[in-house]
Amino acid sequence: MIIKQKLYTVWVFSTISLKRLFRDKLALFFTFLFPLIFLFVFGALNRNNSVSFNVAIISSSDSAIASDFIKSANDNKILKVNKEVTDFSSANQLMSRGELDATIELPKDFGAVKSNQPSGQAIVHYTQNNEQAAQTITSILDAQFQAMNSEITKAPKPFSVTKEQTNKHSLSAFDYTFTGLLGFAILGAGIFGPMNYFPELKKMGILRRLHTTPLRVWQYFLSAMLSNAVTGLLSIGVMFVVALVVFDLKVIGSYLSLIPFLVFGIVMVLGVGLALGGWAKNERQAAPLGNIVVFPMMFLSGTFFPRFLMPEWLQSLTFYIPLTPVIDGARMIMSEGKTLLDLGPQLGVMAIWFVIIYSIAFKVFRWE
Amino acid sequence: MIRVFLLRLVKFRTKLYVMAKNILEVRNLTKAYGHKKVVKGISFEVKKGEIFGILGPNGAGKTTTLEMIEALRPIDDGTAVIDGIDVSKEPYRIRNIIGVQPQTPGFQDKTKLHELIRMFAAAYGRKVEPKTFLDQVNLGEKTNSYVEELSGGQKQRFSIVAALVHEPKVFFLDEPTTGLDPQARRNLWDLIKEVRDRGISVILTTHYMDEAEILCDRIAIMDKGEIIALDTPKRLIKDLLGRGFKKAQHVEQANLEDVFIDLTGKELRA
Repeated sequence: MIIKQKLYTVWVFSTISLKRLFRDKLALFFTFLFPLIFLFVFGALNRNNSVSFNVAIISSSDSAIASDFIKSANDNKILKVNKEVTDFSSANQLMSRGELDATIELPKDFGAVKSNQPSGQAIVHYTQNNEQAAQTITSILDAQFQAMNSEITKAPKPFSVTKEQTNKHSLSAFDYTFTGLLGFAILGAGIFGPMNYFPELKKMGILRRLHTTPLRVWQYFLSAMLSNAVTGLLSIGVMFVVALVVFDLKVIGSYLSLIPFLVFGIVMVLGVGLALGGWAKNERQAAPLGNIVVFPMMFLSGTFFPRFLMPEWLQSLTFYIPLTPVIDGARMIMSEGKTLLDLGPQLGVMAIWFVIIYSIAFKVFRWE
Repeated sequence: MIRVFLLRLVKFRTKLYVMAKNILEVRNLTKAYGHKKVVKGISFEVKKGEIFGILGPNGAGKTTTLEMIEALRPIDDGTAVIDGIDVSKEPYRIRNIIGVQPQTPGFQDKTKLHELIRMFAAAYGRKVEPKTFLDQVNLGEKTNSYVEELSGGQKQRFSIVAALVHEPKVFFLDEPTTGLDPQARRNLWDLIKEVRDRGISVILTTHYMDEAEILCDRIAIMDKGEIIALDTPKRLIKDLLGRGFKKAQHVEQANLEDVFIDLTGKELRA
């Protein structure tokens, strides 16, 4: 009975703060539109995810073979030929600026007929930093010349290679980025929200006033959790819809695993915001501490940079950052089709963090 | 044997009598910040159904005293007992029977008045009909307004009714009329008297002597953490005159405030 009464308090507080959010245009922008802007920027960046090289072709030869070569290079999907560059000085300039990866030179005698056969040698010019690109371009050209050579010499080709696509889906760059953006949205709503909001309430004396009532800290926290879980899920839901419709996001796992997992993630991360905002007396105290906590989390948890690119020791270290298991878990459900049962280590780390974070939050909370 | 029993009975009866008469009993209340004692062992009682004023210059320890009694600040030494409940032992029971109007009432923005009333009631685990409460302070038409749309006086009235949603036994107000125009001040006085007449004991601080004189049944004057006078306003004035105090006075039948009220009327604005 008493518990029911106390939960009624929680219910009223969370429903009213939800209503309040929907009246606040700035909060709406940061909750719903801001993550979408990121989604569109990253989505557009990742749309064209095939590898290509920017090259210029400078030909001093007027042979038919040279013009055939240029034509086939123009059709090549991997080579993007910049047709405006015709001389070395402008090519060098663009290469030093990084706008061109390499310049292919066809010398004057390219394609000239010697001892009954046309022959020639193309030269790939590159700058110091483009060694890899030059190597790839050289092997592409090499393959092309091999084909031309065998055409001319009519030699048999005992060994060959062909490619075939398997039907197994792998993580596309966008799928990867999307979970990162989810992490970013969770961080934004869970940490920046209360971090800015609580000191404001303290400044206006609102928390102090609530402190004169029998309201308990856990009731206040629980109502914040409820309203945050709802807004967080709505904001993430909007991101999902846009990603599915516009960017062709592939979700393999079940939403029945994903939604409870994300709710737990949101609530856990919210604890960090509650601790920071609950502790800080004013905005000036909250902001620097918030940055110290948020930025390492953002960059080390695999939000934007894949953790598998990190050195081994850093990978095992960053596994224990609160946000890492959230992002890893979401990724595993969405693109590997895992269920909650497979996410033991992730859920374990999250549960430990949940206990630690909320114990701190309760301890440092100040009403004024 | 019988004597001891009778003595105890007498003691118990006086205790009952005192308990019934006093809603608040403060004994030897002390607070220090570091080495600085801001409240130096003060004692006083507030009777049921009276308006009790605490006056004193800034830094006298008025607000600290109130905050200790309201269970907002830990009590270093001494006791405060409200309606038989020890404040430092059962702060949550205390919060259920007191209403607090802080110096500057703050309410979260973008929240309608009826929602705020529901919220405050919910903080006490109660479900109420907001309109009836807002009607009590002439804010019935503002049920769907936001707090930020209210004038200073309306905000004070709203703040009072928000502090009374749980029918407390004691009502604390910290400088309730600071910054209000004369009309709103008078209106608030009437409102506070109405609250008293409903049987709620009122404890307030103020810097306005006219307010204390008109409103308070008894006042305590604090200075440097001590209570230096405690009585009805009439008696305090009488005592002063009895000590031979004389003001260079030319008797006028009105003052500037009377002029102001005469010209602008008593009707409440905004």
